[in-house]
Amino acid sequence: MNLPEWLLGLLVLALLAWYLSFSAARIDRLHHRVEGGRSALDAQLVRRAEAAVELAGSGALDPASGLLVAGAATDALDAGELADAGTPPTHAGEPSRETAESDLSHALQLALDPDLVTAMREDPIGAALLERLRASCHRVQLARRFHNDAVTDATRVRAKPIARWARLAGRAQAPQTFEMDDEPPVALTR
Amino acid sequence: MRVGVVCPYSFDVPGGVQFHVRDLAEHLIGRGHEVSVLAPADDDTPVPAYVVPAGRAVPVPYNGSVARLNFGPVSAGRVRKWLAEGGFDVLHIHEPITPSLSILALWQATGPIVATFHTSTLRSRAMQAAYPVMRPSLEKISARIAVSEDARQTVTTHIGGDAVVIPNGVYVDVFARAEPAPLWQGTADAPTIAFVGRLDESRKGLHVLCDAVPQVLRSVPGARFLIAGRGDVDAALERLDPTARAACTFLGEVSDHDKAALLRSVDVYVAPQTGGESFGVVLVEAMSAGATVLASDLDAFRRVLDDGALGVLFAVGDGAGLADSLLALLADPARRARLRAAAGVAVRRYDWSVVGAEVLEVFETVSYGAQSVAEDPQSGRFARWRRP
Repeated sequence: MNLPEWLLGLLVLALLAWYLSFSAARIDRLHHRVEGGRSALDAQLVRRAEAAVELAGSGALDPASGLLVAGAATDALDAGELADAGTPPTHAGEPSRETAESDLSHALQLALDPDLVTAMREDPIGAALLERLRASCHRVQLARRFHNDAVTDATRVRAKPIARWARLAGRAQAPQTFEMDDEPPVALTR
Repeated sequence: MRVGVVCPYSFDVPGGVQFHVRDLAEHLIGRGHEVSVLAPADDDTPVPAYVVPAGRAVPVPYNGSVARLNFGPVSAGRVRKWLAEGGFDVLHIHEPITPSLSILALWQATGPIVATFHTSTLRSRAMQAAYPVMRPSLEKISARIAVSEDARQTVTTHIGGDAVVIPNGVYVDVFARAEPAPLWQGTADAPTIAFVGRLDESRKGLHVLCDAVPQVLRSVPGARFLIAGRGDVDAALERLDPTARAACTFLGEVSDHDKAALLRSVDVYVAPQTGGESFGVVLVEAMSAGATVLASDLDAFRRVLDDGALGVLFAVGDGAGLADSLLALLADPARRARLRAAAGVAVRRYDWSVVGAEVLEVFETVSYGAQSVAEDPQSGRFARWRRP
């Protein structure tokens, strides 16, 4: 069978159109996945910082450790609010959100020594507090992993020649992974 | 009088609070009092005889930089032991709102307690978050001292209550009698201008001075800028063109002795800080040494310079303004002499002989008829939960 040339051309065009629209939809879906992952991560980071503030104000820590944790947690909350507003940190004393969140992980690590955790777990209020903190630290780890997976996928598809050639990503900004130290306090994971 | 002093910051790192604590302790010892200073330090770090090491300080991210602080049960135990052995008539705590030894001491002690607030920048949100735990401790302070009007305002706004202002002390005569170094002395054609402060800490304002250097050199080609302080010299040099670079000498971190000699030798001391200054000890040191002070018009500096009667002020962060004021000063030796004479009289107010007596008056007032410092039976873990 011999197809007329015009039909063959039409078929190729139709195939190209379908592939473009398919790729555009794919990129769009990936962008949505990144956005969803980002807001989930955002929510978990805020919950973790709030659990840390609660710990700092509970009286379970010595006041020096309490102040340290309170400082790191409120810095993280402040940095989160700034990031939501889309304004990067301006003056030198203001850490980026990734730094602020890593600093909070570090502060929690230093403040929660194993003896203290054992003592706190004997008290119902203390045990509940630690459990909230442990759960939120774990969820931060999960949410960050899911978000970064989505970013990797989206970046890969955006880098395809057809996507670049047809500018399928439009004006959407290239998604960024969220890099932080999200190791939960050692004493909490035991 | 037996005085226990708590310093929250490690003596290994130079800093305003550490210098103040050291000088005050030595002054009080000189007056015949018994002083013990508890400070973060390893057991094997060489420290003056009056310092009791509270164990290794842990580097932690705090306030946007890495601070070396003591906290946690081990440090708390060291503080308790020091308090029990000291039998102090007065406990003097510095910078109580830092996550370090000061707040641990305040938490575990009761009796006549004096607290000195140095900073004018307080992390109010962190303070609010930890306030339920801090408040019972802060209530134990019998007298509060602020080192400046700005620090006092911070106390009244964020903590409540009031504080007496007793400025940082300076050994005026050490600076006034320092031997000038010929290498750093200026001439009419080649005046010398000094900067003292961390090179890479932007609030110290080195970049403002760098902005001004080319303009100054156009009118006074022989001017020399002597820059003392720790930090990355290469990064600082990048901000200067080759001519300006040749006019700047980087001295690195200088010893107390060299700092006095430097301030004694130069014609003008420039303080271009852009913020975060509570008092400005270096300004007083420069005035004591006989250097004319040119400073940004921060509230703290404006007060120290008596609204410009003792030195010249320019708009904060304004490199061109700095250059204009500096050129005017360099062109007018008579004005410099007038400012120097006025400053030489005014700095006596900051001499340790005056400041130390004021601090002692506070100590005597709070310890009058009071029992000595003891361990607070209500401190300890979960104390707040156990209390009805």
